[in-house]
Amino acid sequence: MTAKTTCPYCGVGCGVKVTIADDPSKGFTSLEGDDSHPANLGKLCVKGSNLVATLVQEDRLLQPKIHGKDVLWQDAADHIAEKITQTIAQYGPDSFAFYLSGQILTEDYYVANKFAKGFLGTANVDTNSRLCMASAVVGYKRAFGSDTVPCSYEDLELCDLLIMIGSNAAWTHPILFQRIAAAKAKRPNMKVVVIDPRKTATCDIADLHLAIAPGSDAAIFNFLLLESQRHQILDTHYIKQHTKGFANALWAAQKHQPNRAEVAKFCDVAETDLAQLSQWWCDTPKTVSFYSQGINQSSSGVDKCNAIINCHLATGRIGKEGAGPFSITGQPNAMGGREVGGLANQLAAHMDFATPGAIETVQRFWQAPNMATENGLKAIDMFQAIESGKIKVVWIMSTNPLVSLPDTEQVRRALEKCELVIVSDCKVHTDTTAYADVLLPALPWSEKDGTVTNSERRISRQRGLLPPLGQAMPDWWAICQVAQKMGYRAGFSYRSVDQIFREHAALSGFENNGKRDFDISYFNQISADEYETLAPIQWPVTPTRPKGTARMFEDGKFFTKDGKASFIPIYPEKPVAQTTHEFPFILNTGRVRDQWHTMTRTGDAAILVKHISEPYLEIHPEDAAKLNVQDNSVVEVSSALQSLKLRAKVSDQVRPQNLFAPIHWTRQFASQSIVSSLIPQACDVLSGQPESKHAIVNVKAVQGLRYGYVLSKKLPNLPELDYWCRVPLEKGERLDLASNRPDIIEVLCAQIEQQWSKGNWLEYRNPIRPQQRRVYIVDEQVVAFVLLQASPTLPSTSWLEDQLFSVDAMTEMQGIALLAGRAVNVEDKGAVVCSCFQIGSKQIEQAVRSGISSIEALGKSLKCGTNCGSCIPEIKQFIPVMEVTL
Amino acid sequence: MGKEHIVIIGAGMAGSKLAHELVSLSSAPFNVTLIGEEAQVGYNRIMLSSVLSKEMNEQDIALVDVSAMSQNGANIIASDPVVSVNTDDKRVFLASGTELCYDRLVFATGARSFLPDWAQVGADNVVGFRDWNDVKALLALPLGAKVAIVGGGLLGLEAAVGLAKNGHQPVVIQRSEYIMNRQLDRVSAQYLQNNLESRGVAFLTDTSPVQILMDQAGLSARSVVTDKGCIDVDMVVVATGITPEVQLARSAGVSVDRAILVNEKMQTSIEGVYALGECSQFEQHTFGLVAPIWDQLTVLVQTLLSEDAKFGIKPVPTKLKVSGIDLYSVGQINADPDQEITLLDSELNHYRKLVVNGDRLVGAILYGNVADGSWYAQLIQNQTNISEMLECLAFGEAYCQSVNA
Repeated sequence: MTAKTTCPYCGVGCGVKVTIADDPSKGFTSLEGDDSHPANLGKLCVKGSNLVATLVQEDRLLQPKIHGKDVLWQDAADHIAEKITQTIAQYGPDSFAFYLSGQILTEDYYVANKFAKGFLGTANVDTNSRLCMASAVVGYKRAFGSDTVPCSYEDLELCDLLIMIGSNAAWTHPILFQRIAAAKAKRPNMKVVVIDPRKTATCDIADLHLAIAPGSDAAIFNFLLLESQRHQILDTHYIKQHTKGFANALWAAQKHQPNRAEVAKFCDVAETDLAQLSQWWCDTPKTVSFYSQGINQSSSGVDKCNAIINCHLATGRIGKEGAGPFSITGQPNAMGGREVGGLANQLAAHMDFATPGAIETVQRFWQAPNMATENGLKAIDMFQAIESGKIKVVWIMSTNPLVSLPDTEQVRRALEKCELVIVSDCKVHTDTTAYADVLLPALPWSEKDGTVTNSERRISRQRGLLPPLGQAMPDWWAICQVAQKMGYRAGFSYRSVDQIFREHAALSGFENNGKRDFDISYFNQISADEYETLAPIQWPVTPTRPKGTARMFEDGKFFTKDGKASFIPIYPEKPVAQTTHEFPFILNTGRVRDQWHTMTRTGDAAILVKHISEPYLEIHPEDAAKLNVQDNSVVEVSSALQSLKLRAKVSDQVRPQNLFAPIHWTRQFASQSIVSSLIPQACDVLSGQPESKHAIVNVKAVQGLRYGYVLSKKLPNLPELDYWCRVPLEKGERLDLASNRPDIIEVLCAQIEQQWSKGNWLEYRNPIRPQQRRVYIVDEQVVAFVLLQASPTLPSTSWLEDQLFSVDAMTEMQGIALLAGRAVNVEDKGAVVCSCFQIGSKQIEQAVRSGISSIEALGKSLKCGTNCGSCIPEIKQFIPVMEVTL
Repeated sequence: MGKEHIVIIGAGMAGSKLAHELVSLSSAPFNVTLIGEEAQVGYNRIMLSSVLSKEMNEQDIALVDVSAMSQNGANIIASDPVVSVNTDDKRVFLASGTELCYDRLVFATGARSFLPDWAQVGADNVVGFRDWNDVKALLALPLGAKVAIVGGGLLGLEAAVGLAKNGHQPVVIQRSEYIMNRQLDRVSAQYLQNNLESRGVAFLTDTSPVQILMDQAGLSARSVVTDKGCIDVDMVVVATGITPEVQLARSAGVSVDRAILVNEKMQTSIEGVYALGECSQFEQHTFGLVAPIWDQLTVLVQTLLSEDAKFGIKPVPTKLKVSGIDLYSVGQINADPDQEITLLDSELNHYRKLVVNGDRLVGAILYGNVADGSWYAQLIQNQTNISEMLECLAFGEAYCQSVNA
């Protein structure tokens, strides 16, 4: 049986088509992009393509647990209800908090929000979306009076100029990036500008890259606002009819950086590049500004958003085809969370506590006994309040704050102190579940059922296609259990998820009358069958717009009191923490292509760690030379909060004195790699969004380390190591490590011997190019491979990984090959570039050497880049490189 | 003017092969006389161990085709040793009383098994492992005989394996801490010893014989007394090395050090008199392995033809001729551990050690898989710069070449 659902990774929200096995407990027999889904039109990125490999199998949480002991749902619900009741009675409603996630479904969000804000009486409902797009929300609200994304993905293809700010879409939103790349290929006159301190894979399609000083983005848009005036491209009619506050915004821009030279200095870019940007901006009415975490994760993120929006309002480039300020969300359902009001500074259904009459409206609709009346605590404040003891019970759903929140040490202190920590998750072991008093088994993707909303306001169904494992239940169901135990039967007696959706739809239309942008009241009577087959649709969806709404503000009417959009005067500010003598480097953070969030799903899929298998710290070659840091060596990176050991990746893709580290690796996968632990809890005062892309740090080379790895079926007990990272393989695991112990190889080998029955070692020792390799053979099977060496650049393991556990009579040549790490008559593919077809760097180099000189031809010959295409930027790098060496 | 007469004293491997080469020259410039003390002429002494282990018979180990050599005009005299030489009037005198004139003379008198003092007791069951007579004595042993082999070098081990294979009980007595200590290191020696033990050879290492006890009749050795105890024997094989046979040359007035001194053209101190093989000494080197001797032979032929050729010392690989054991050793095999790259496969008992000095390979031991042995020997001999190969050197030629490609 085939079925359609939605990918659970990024905010693009791609449609997925699956074939379910005859026995559904066997999972999916095929998975591909849904060509009828408007977000992706059949394409999937590498993470989406490998969804089957990331269905949670290992370490799955199957049963509620209290303090580690399996219990029945009833007991867990009793325990929670009792504790909440008692705590609220003693300390008031604000002693409880939900910390939710952009991974949960809209219906789950809706029930959690209703329970807290209407029945417990607290607005302490926040979410990891706070870390992702809170600034974008406030930016839109300040300008439009509503949290409204004006654009559609189509606009990315229809525009003539696309300015991508603080977004590495090539890695973070690959399908959008590919749509853009395809549009640009079709219309070569379409210009793409990337504004990002880093030279990312996204720059691959850029006509212009402005590698600005970190955090200086707003100045660029103030500059464009002034240039719009200088070059007389202002839409004066639009400004007059549909906006207010233009003069102040212009004045602020003028005051801050009156001329190009000042802007160039502030942003540390070439004036000629600014001139080029200005020329394209002024010449191109069809301009989309595409922005993401690089804008949002900032202490002045909201201002940055408004700096961008100001430019679009001033030129009337909004509400039109191929134009608009387009915030792209990171998570699959950050938007759904915003819609139900699942943030501490929202009430419900795009109503705020401050919205006149809103509290009463919602109270009436919910028949709620204990309405919260004011904003609750935003994520950072929430965890501060947990630590200070104001919040005594926290219920964390589908998120891993011990890895993702800044200053994770503070989060650890908070959870250690909290009287009751409830964690709903699919995994037994995450950095956060380690601190849970109560663990509740949640449904993973393909088992959970409901809706999500993507970055273009498109609501799609994420369907429950596979039978739930163990005692796992929907999050909304778990909340209802607790609510019912607390006596709130009427409001929480949902029998099915469509019932919740109907209620959510009804609330969106309740006493709305066009006052609120979010309105899907067309669905307030949707039947279970209709819900089941609901096709992807963009809100608002109302009786007058039953087919949804592709583009907002086409009529120039906004959701402010007077219907006019607001210009906001912007005074660009640099990040809070400025470098010092002690901490002379700026650390930037972000994602890598094939991993998702804290790797609780993608981290176990061997195919997804092949692209980048270890955390790293990108450092500019000049800085590396000064600090005597070798490529791939383990360095110590320290902020005032914490110190980590990461592998250095010497790269001119970062600016000098700038560093970059990916956010994904956790304690489950690596020794000390939680980058958030270096980041201070500095936030945008308006949005509460932390400045997660900015910390000031120092870097030091670590002397005297030996580097190596262990490949094995199951990793042995580990001795204390200076650095380790666990990497799943098709048939086992790899442990990359560094240690200063001279006898570390003996220690590791002794541990391996303990794991297995008696076997034999193959050993290689080279003191001249210091390296030791050992292979352990048990019953003619290779069960473990150990390598230790002085050089930090480790040899490829791709061939060796295939040899693990393959039963074969050992020959002399095999012994040598195992120690050499390759067989001479077997092709060494090199590092995997194309994950879909497992094409390696050496194969591509070979093909290029043989005269193949285009991406298309490489695709034809090797298939690389022809499935998900997200490796194309990397494949491209092989072409010029080879031309130079020839 | 007639052809020059070249007389070669000694019909062992070097002498026989030299005679064969000289009479096979297309211009046939020489008359050649080859004189040997043994009845057999021109056999491959190295293969005696294969005869002992009954893997080969007498015909199989011919080094040269003696009848073809005769047809080509060589004068072959067997079982008639030379007793004296007069270099002034260029004559040699044989035991039979025969007297020969020569134009040029070649000493190829070889060597004898070295008999240490304690072994010189005149026992009829103390032999070397050197010639047909020795092999015949060993082949005649009654099944299950206890044989002490003194000397755990190449020769002693080959003898021991042959004896074990023939159903005897050989014990190798080795003065050093491990066997083949000049070609192997401790690890490879242990592998080899383990293998030989599994074939029925026993070992007493770090053990020195001090005395032989004779039987009551005083004819035969009864037991060997060592510094570690006493073992009963039916026979003793002494394989502690060889002594170059230089008596004849010395009494002829040729300069002799440990052996007959030759220059790089194989000339001795007396004009028209040459030497090669185990009886010769070049600079500080004497010779026991065949490879350099063949080099000497090539040089000597050219010298005799008045062509310009020079002999030089090259590293000589050692291989053990025991079926089922692959062993290869070449060059300097012991060094500071920081100069030694090792590879050990305890699954297959396979071992490699490469000794590196700067950017040169200077020595190699291969046990178990010797396919790359000659490649390593070449690297050593050519003094190839291996600095680019250091990471894959131990894995062999194919690996190093696949990196370069």
